[in-house]
Amino acid sequence: MHGLRLAFNYLRIGVLNEFQYRANFYIQILQTFIALGTGLIGLNLVFSQTTQLGGWSKPELLAVMGVFITMGGVIRSAIQPNMERLMEEIREGKLDFALTKPADAQLLVSVREFRFWQLVDVITGIVVMGVALSELHWVIGAWSVLGFFTAIAMGAVMIYCFWLIITTTAFWFVRVHEIANLFEGLYAAGRWPIDIYPNWLRIGLTFLVPVAFAVTVPAEALTGRLTFQTWFGALALTAVLFTLARTIWKIGLRSYSGASA
Amino acid sequence: MSSVISISKLAKHYEVPEREAGLKAAAMGLIKRRYKTVKAVDGISFEIQPGEVVGFLGPNGAGKTTTLKMLSGLLHPTSGSSSVLGFEPAKRSHDFLRQITLVMGNRNQLSWDLPALDSFDLQRAIYSIPVDEFKRTRDEFIELLELKELIQKPIRNLSLGERMKMEIVGALLHKPKILFLDEPTLGLDVTMQKRIRTFVAEYNKRYGATVLLTSHYMADVEALCKRVVVIHHGKLLFDGDLSTLVEKFSAFKTVGFTINTAAVDWTQYGEVVSTDGGRMVLRVPKEKTSAITTRLLNDLAVEDLTVETAPIEDVIESVFAVKEETME
Amino acid sequence: MKRYFDYYRATMKLSVLEQLQYPVANYFYMIGMIAEPVIYMVVWSAVARQQGGMVGGYTPGAFAAYYIVWTLVRNMNIVFTPYGWEWRIREGQLSMSLLRPIHPLHADVAYFAGWKVVVILLWLPLAFILSLIFKPELNPTLLQGVVFFFAIWMAYLIRTMILSLLGMVTFWTTRVSALFELYFAAELILSGRLVPLSLMPEWVQKLAWFFPFRWAFGFPIEALVGNLSTSDLLTGLGMQLAWILFGVISVSVIWKVAIRRFSAVGG
Repeated sequence: MHGLRLAFNYLRIGVLNEFQYRANFYIQILQTFIALGTGLIGLNLVFSQTTQLGGWSKPELLAVMGVFITMGGVIRSAIQPNMERLMEEIREGKLDFALTKPADAQLLVSVREFRFWQLVDVITGIVVMGVALSELHWVIGAWSVLGFFTAIAMGAVMIYCFWLIITTTAFWFVRVHEIANLFEGLYAAGRWPIDIYPNWLRIGLTFLVPVAFAVTVPAEALTGRLTFQTWFGALALTAVLFTLARTIWKIGLRSYSGASA
Repeated sequence: MSSVISISKLAKHYEVPEREAGLKAAAMGLIKRRYKTVKAVDGISFEIQPGEVVGFLGPNGAGKTTTLKMLSGLLHPTSGSSSVLGFEPAKRSHDFLRQITLVMGNRNQLSWDLPALDSFDLQRAIYSIPVDEFKRTRDEFIELLELKELIQKPIRNLSLGERMKMEIVGALLHKPKILFLDEPTLGLDVTMQKRIRTFVAEYNKRYGATVLLTSHYMADVEALCKRVVVIHHGKLLFDGDLSTLVEKFSAFKTVGFTINTAAVDWTQYGEVVSTDGGRMVLRVPKEKTSAITTRLLNDLAVEDLTVETAPIEDVIESVFAVKEETME
Repeated sequence: MKRYFDYYRATMKLSVLEQLQYPVANYFYMIGMIAEPVIYMVVWSAVARQQGGMVGGYTPGAFAAYYIVWTLVRNMNIVFTPYGWEWRIREGQLSMSLLRPIHPLHADVAYFAGWKVVVILLWLPLAFILSLIFKPELNPTLLQGVVFFFAIWMAYLIRTMILSLLGMVTFWTTRVSALFELYFAAELILSGRLVPLSLMPEWVQKLAWFFPFRWAFGFPIEALVGNLSTSDLLTGLGMQLAWILFGVISVSVIWKVAIRRFSAVGG
């Protein structure tokens, strides 16, 4: 499929590029190390005062942290760079190529950038999850494993759609750049399972910014508390968001090229 | 009268790491770094009297901006000495800073979002200008540059030329005795360039300020400076009257035109500089320019005829070439 | 002396006027920043409820108070970043400020001070909304209020000094992001930003005394929200003053050295 081959090519170039900047690797390691350190300090502080939080035990919360870190790595390596570049190109009117290349524009703008070194976060998160699971004595069934992988994939897709929708509004609103800051802040809420948040916040996190689905749902799978309803809800929401994102993208692209919006 | 700017064998050298291409060189570079000395300014000396307007000419990278930065205290010279108004610029005493100004073409001092008037008030506070004097000076400049309509508009809403005018006003509100102007007309259209030149000339006349102006536009220099200092590769090449420089070194003009015929003996008109498709460029002696262009127009079917003074680079090159001959 | 007042007044006026042009951008930034303390607040309130209503001497209401005041103190803390110093040197803005007969750091302090005024104004409605949602327990005495007012401005100065010192490192090397990240992590733990310091293990609390961080963050919050004795409050102000003095001296010294290097290398 042409699109996939294109994506793979971009990936290859991106990776080769990043290898040139080996310093970025060390900086990334340091940043991950620091983030992990402060996260663990926070977790330990909480558990110096209590034995469980919102029904989650310490190793279970460690698993949440692992998912949080991994998902963060996925976002910062594959999703965010593309969206930020798109934002800038929309603002500067440099999107013409998207209309002239013989490939789907949405695919193109979504795969061009790849920050290879952010994968350090993905690996770190997996290690943390491993540690958490070992403390839970690997009590995890086949269905949970399947649920975990599908939940991660759906979560990533949902975050991507969310980012795309916000970025596409750059076609109409100028100040979309601050959204990136906002997202960073809101995503940080994913460090903890949404069960601990008050109701109104929980709803906001689930629907407005699919943080819950990105982090809590896969974590629920890992710790054996994922229900079929939740999983199915995630699937439905993914489908809805994807359709919505694509529609808004198409509308935005049309208005950009001067067609009646 | 004692000079107000005086530099003696002023030099600025930079150590720049040398980097060659290739894997081996890169590997060697990790072990032992090789450095090359770049002589941005290589021992120049001159004296400037109060009230002079001196043009500081040279192509890009000649060392003009570096010299200005040393004279305003931003850079410490590697060797040599300089004295401005009796101060050593590198010491950057507040009394010294209060009497100079450095205007660089693309460096903005005024607040982008606010009207110039607001930024001017800040300048007043920075330089501790007494309020009445400040208002008088400000209004005088506004009138000179015809800025009355524009001072209430945010800077971002002004054109490049209007912005530059505001920047210059802002830079002069404290009535500095020394003006260092680094390419002040860079990127501006011809009308705006003229306006700014007139303003600088007027400021010099009214306040007896000393102006050191760098440019690679001959027109700036021709309009304002009686004396020019030419600098190239960090060395002083010429220090004297502009008229002498012009006479000696821009003795030629270049005439360009488009023509279809190829077989013409051009030597009867002038020296061929270039032929590019249908575009010819000839060099002709300055005094013969109108005669030759008339002949060209009469004899041949030429189109898009242009007459230009030799660009400053050519003038400098010829200055440099002549200098070598006269062994200085 | 008078001319410094004049300069500060003029610069602050300019920055207030400038920042008032960007209420939306400022709000976006503030809202993004609020996520952090809200998350801390929610987590710790949950822990408190779990443990029967209180943990480390803080009830959920007390946590709410702590973290809402946190947002104001955090805003007061924001100063010119070391990354900004890097940019400033690279773009030649530093040269421009070196031409003025006034120490460039005054420009930073004055400009941000004006900005803070706008920030405080914009913060008030936000604080009101947060209070409606999270119901903080807050009953400060007059003394606490007064101390708080001075404390937040001194916190601003302390942090200005610290980050100026960090920023000046960029005169010597540009590869400094690692240093900055380490610094921010240390500050997070030792300042009272992550959690009230009283919830930290003893040894951390003792360690925090050696650093200026808590005086730029935790102390102002505790002054208003906690129940510090009068002597504690005054000692705190004294400590802040001491750190500011220390900061000013360090910055002056390092600045002289830094500028000498800058003038040798150019920019």
